Amino acid sequence: MVRDVLGTLVRVGLAAVWLISGGLKAADPEQTYLAVSAFDVLPAGFVGPVAAALPFLELAIGVLLLIGFGVRPAAVASVVLLVAFVAGVGQAWARGLSIDCGCFGGGGPVDPSRTRYPQELARDLGFLLLAAWLVVRPRTVLAADALLRRTMVGQPAVAEDGGR
Amino acid sequence: MGGAQRADRRRKQRATQAVGSARAVGSAAGGSGDRTRVVTAIAVLLVLAAAVIGGVLWQHSRSAPPPATAQKVDAAYTVQLDGAVVVAGADTAKVTIDVYEDFLCPACGAFEKRDSAKIEQALTAGTLRVRYHVLNLLDDRSNPPGYSLDAGSAALCAADVGAFPSYHASLFANQPSEGGRGHTTDQLVQLGHDLGITDSGFDTCVRSGKRKNDVSGQLQAAMADPSLRRAGSGGGQYFGTPTVVLAGTVVDLSKSTWLDDAIRSAAA
Repeated sequence: MVRDVLGTLVRVGLAAVWLISGGLKAADPEQTYLAVSAFDVLPAGFVGPVAAALPFLELAIGVLLLIGFGVRPAAVASVVLLVAFVAGVGQAWARGLSIDCGCFGGGGPVDPSRTRYPQELARDLGFLLLAAWLVVRPRTVLAADALLRRTMVGQPAVAEDGGR
Repeated sequence: MGGAQRADRRRKQRATQAVGSARAVGSAAGGSGDRTRVVTAIAVLLVLAAAVIGGVLWQHSRSAPPPATAQKVDAAYTVQLDGAVVVAGADTAKVTIDVYEDFLCPACGAFEKRDSAKIEQALTAGTLRVRYHVLNLLDDRSNPPGYSLDAGSAALCAADVGAFPSYHASLFANQPSEGGRGHTTDQLVQLGHDLGITDSGFDTCVRSGKRKNDVSGQLQAAMADPSLRRAGSGGGQYFGTPTVVLAGTVVDLSKSTWLDDAIRSAAA
């Protein structure tokens, strides 16, 4: 039960991360486009669609985690997305690009003295830990999942008692 | 006796049936748990897919290109072409500057907004000659990419038919934002018409991208020229737009009186 409560904090925390980062990106689509394009990994035709979809993908994961619906699959999606971010920031650092990841809005090319790759990676790895926790242990309190579990499993349990 | 035995057997039978059905219900409960998980996972996938598709559609619907309204400049000075360089102003002017610009670059837009009236005045007065180098430095900063090149090449097409000053001013007056959509080819053609261009060669030039090589050639030349670089705060040297060169030196544009100073010292 204590771990369920801890898991709830992890779930709500990760939900807040996605809602804030997705919201900031959705609010400034032009900047998001520049941020995605600055990673210089996607073919030109894919930068636009990825920049358009990414904020809403993040918001959707955030909402799912917040209400606690499909916590495990939502956490798996978080892991996939965060691994992609870590790879993106890592390759930018390794190739010596000078960009801001634009993880929470902003982003794009910056002056070489203003890159913050170690901090950005550490932050993403922290979020990755939160997501991994929820993949391993998706059970939390105050979640739509718990409600579903009770209604779906609850009914036959009553029938079983009645059968005896 | 027989009846009692039968009744007993029936009772036992019923009991086994009850246990059996309880077991069946039990395993059905487990099955519905799995089903719940599968249905939930599918629902999550659908929600995420809907977010992705919705995002792309929304972005597509909102990214109408900005309007390209005509901004006429009554240029009372000569404008010639020196290869891909547009030369405005009299040959006899004492001050000649080289201006390197990209039509998407926000700093170029700010520079034009602040200084274009003064430049125009000096061109008309015959005290200044400007060599415009139109470049595509920010090709990847529009969505879709390539507006810098399209706009630059269209401006050279306008120069071919003697409409560079107005065309140049119009593109900066209606500058698309970085990361956003640029003016379309249709808009670039229409802008020419709105500015009074009737030569059909202009349309063909813009649509075929005839001047694109000239624009990218200007960029390559500028990037390769060390005298155009300035110091970045990171310690390195870089070329950026706008760059103004006066007598072989990059002008510090943060000083808003740079042009007045140049003209005054040339007159002295």
